[in-house]
Amino acid sequence: MVELTIDGKKIQTNPGTTVLEAALANNIDIPRLCHHPELSVSGGCRLCIVNVDGYSNPTPSCGLTCQDGMAIETQNEELLKSRREIIDLFISEHPLDCVTCDKSGTCLLQKYAYEFDITKTSHEFEISKPIYQDDNPFFIRDHQYCILCGRCVRVCDEVVGAKAIDFAGRGFECHIATPFDDPLKDSTCVFCGNCIQVCPTAALTPVSRMGKGREWELDRLKTICGYCGVGCQIEYALKDGKIIYAQSTPDAPVNGEFLCTKGRFGWDFATAPERLTSPMLRRDVAYELGLTSENWELPQKSPLAVRKPKVEDSHIPIDWDTALDLAARKLSENVKEYGPDSIMGLASARCTNEENYIFQKFFRLGIGTNNLDHCARL
Amino acid sequence: MNFNNLEKIGQKELDRQGKYKRRIFCCTSTACLSAGAGQVHTSLDQSVEACRCDEHEAEVVKTGCMGLCSSGPLVRVEEKEKDPILYGNITSELAQQLVSRHVPIGEIDDELEEGDQDLSVTPHDMLHYRASLKKAGKKSDLDKNIISLDHPFFSKQVKVVLNETGIVNPDKLEDYLAHGGYQALAHVLENMTPEEVCDEILESELRGRGGAGFPTGMKWNFVRKEGAEDKFVIVNGDEGDPGAYMDRTVMEDDPHRVLEGMIICAYAVGASAGYLYIRGEYPIAINRIRKAIRDARRRKILGKSVLGTDFMFNADVRIGAGAFVCGEETALIHSVEGKRGMPRMRPPYPSTSGLWEAPTVINNVETMANVPSIINNGADWYASIGTEKSKGTKVFALAGHLRNTGLIEVPMGITLREIVYEIGGGIPENRGFKAAQTGGPSGGCIPEEYLDSPVDYESLNKLGSIMGSGGLVIIDDTTKMPDFANYFMEFCVDESCGKCLPCRVGTVQIGKLLDKLIAGDGSQEDIEQLENLCETVKTTSLCGLGQSAPNPVLSTLKYFRNEYDELVQQAQTADSGLN
Repeated sequence: MVELTIDGKKIQTNPGTTVLEAALANNIDIPRLCHHPELSVSGGCRLCIVNVDGYSNPTPSCGLTCQDGMAIETQNEELLKSRREIIDLFISEHPLDCVTCDKSGTCLLQKYAYEFDITKTSHEFEISKPIYQDDNPFFIRDHQYCILCGRCVRVCDEVVGAKAIDFAGRGFECHIATPFDDPLKDSTCVFCGNCIQVCPTAALTPVSRMGKGREWELDRLKTICGYCGVGCQIEYALKDGKIIYAQSTPDAPVNGEFLCTKGRFGWDFATAPERLTSPMLRRDVAYELGLTSENWELPQKSPLAVRKPKVEDSHIPIDWDTALDLAARKLSENVKEYGPDSIMGLASARCTNEENYIFQKFFRLGIGTNNLDHCARL
Repeated sequence: MNFNNLEKIGQKELDRQGKYKRRIFCCTSTACLSAGAGQVHTSLDQSVEACRCDEHEAEVVKTGCMGLCSSGPLVRVEEKEKDPILYGNITSELAQQLVSRHVPIGEIDDELEEGDQDLSVTPHDMLHYRASLKKAGKKSDLDKNIISLDHPFFSKQVKVVLNETGIVNPDKLEDYLAHGGYQALAHVLENMTPEEVCDEILESELRGRGGAGFPTGMKWNFVRKEGAEDKFVIVNGDEGDPGAYMDRTVMEDDPHRVLEGMIICAYAVGASAGYLYIRGEYPIAINRIRKAIRDARRRKILGKSVLGTDFMFNADVRIGAGAFVCGEETALIHSVEGKRGMPRMRPPYPSTSGLWEAPTVINNVETMANVPSIINNGADWYASIGTEKSKGTKVFALAGHLRNTGLIEVPMGITLREIVYEIGGGIPENRGFKAAQTGGPSGGCIPEEYLDSPVDYESLNKLGSIMGSGGLVIIDDTTKMPDFANYFMEFCVDESCGKCLPCRVGTVQIGKLLDKLIAGDGSQEDIEQLENLCETVKTTSLCGLGQSAPNPVLSTLKYFRNEYDELVQQAQTADSGLN
């Protein structure tokens, strides 16, 4: 254990912990923009500077490892002045469009400008990177809002492994770019959108979210992604019951803050009219059972040859109880008549491990067959 | 150990050189080459050929910088039993006259030999020059080009790093061996343990010549004590300060000295591979270092078994792509790794986690070039030069408003006055001295009242400047200091990498404030804001570039505040005039 003092408070922590982590764990908040707990240290925003006893200059706490006997000061007049000056410099090249900005409310720069009570820059305002890129259907890159914290670059490199973007250009002209500033689709980008997730400002915004409402007006709905068996947690942002974007939250147990391209952008099926919302029963079977007055004939041609069959023509919606009863009855009839091996079970990779386990158990013990397969068995 | 072979090669070269009655040295360093030394060298060569004399009468030697770059191209003639003569501002035609003056002319037929017509100099020309020389009674135009070697420019200097530049042929390993080259390496490998080498360097109190002045021996000891399997040595040749060219000259004119220092360092810290990081704007330095590496490999000075011992070391060149920030050690490491050259936070320092996360020594070219001399002459000898805390010599690129500009090597502790008025020969056209700018864009301006302060790390820091890598620009009283500060600020704006905010945006805003003041639109509040902003950028920037970027502004604000005030007053009078 390492023992140090932060703002006069004695703190014990594990070796290798940074001062910022130790402070946050002890409810001492230090402003920060480029730091992200899941990513490597950058040290570029200079906002988390603290005074260390014996150091001549303030040092960023995000990259400072705790050492025994360290005495840290996170708040004093000089530090506050420096931090204020840093925010002032940030907004000297960041348009304060907060009244119409989609990020307003969750933007970190806005948060700190509010905390330091800065309404406008004391310097000459100049946008360093007036670049607007809408070269893909998923998200917009509006570089004027970019503060070059480099979180997107690091997440792309360290978490996703795509390495599609990096810093390009020098000094004031420095911006985040694909190689040779080519469109994103020609880069190694996989459109997972994790860069949007970690972006502290409105530089990266999902297209679906543009102009759809303020952050505080949105309802949040946590759910599990249905695309695969990993079971990532997704938080949908809803306006009037409709999804406008998907994100994850740091407390998500499986995936942390990160999602793949399907989870983040592939949610439009939720409100698609073709989506099945209840069990469906084939109309001819339903007619036999007396559940509908209209009969229907199984087409002679292959279903593939029938152009766009309408599900309402061939099926009727039924409730779960009826569906389950019917399935149970039909299964047991078949087992009785033709034996258990006349039935085969096919499970889906989109089900969880537990669901697949129960499924095979049901087949082996309930039905009594080993005729089982799975779409991910390759 | 097979150093004896190399000694023999050196002796052979020395004997060969001894056979020549006179040797004509032509500087082929970048400064002289850009003044036309290439043609001068060809002309000298052809003229000696045209003299048709015995082959041992004269040899033309391509060599390195002789210091007085403002008078380039420079040619030095060394005749046996005579004092050497240095000629400046030599052209191809003057080169022919020079040869006819010094080299005896052999039998020349009236008829030209076949092929002679194609030469720019024919034997007939030589006869002609000789005749006109006799006519003028041995007085010639050339006398005007003679530069006295007793001049304080030369006599005030103490040469350690530049000991062989201007004497050896940088492309010839044999020449370096003939002048005692690689003796230090042989001594180290045979008689010293790595620990002893580090201690020797520590005792010499050599400090990093890149600018910060960290004790080199201490740095080497840190790396030596690291238990890692792989360790690296990097020589930092990414010299980027405007007007500074010390490292370029050392690499161009004495590449083997840099290499020798580097190999000794590798032995001392236990590294088996190293890189010389040279900026891409130095093509000659790159070529000569590469040739030096090839030659050293051929002679088994580099490779699996250095000088026949168990010690293995390989060196390679990495070429910078033109970023000033890559002179910063962590950015340089990223660049060598093939990444974008951006600095990272320290600690961890490169001595614990450097190139590919292995312990790495990074030293400046000049630092490495000091090492062989320290080993050869002993730490005590080195520590006897200089001041209490800054030992040895420092190479400066003397530039600006001076009579003599060029490359000088002076002992630490020499005063600025000596440099300006004795070595530099004073300000031309009797104008007044205004300031001395040390350390390039990271340094500050020192006004006249501090001319007598010694040049060493501590004194310069105290004056708000830094030693830096060795740029020294002298400014006369026709220069306006805000303009001067603005020039350096523009440089920093261009060279900021963009990683940390204070440097990326702060320098731009400092530049805007300076522009405003210079344009006559400024006020006292702007000066105050300028000061505040400079302070913020200085204390909060990530790397040395940003932390020192405001130095030119801060030091001019400190010593030449009146010039800024004048700008504001002018603005106010102009305003009231309008009303």
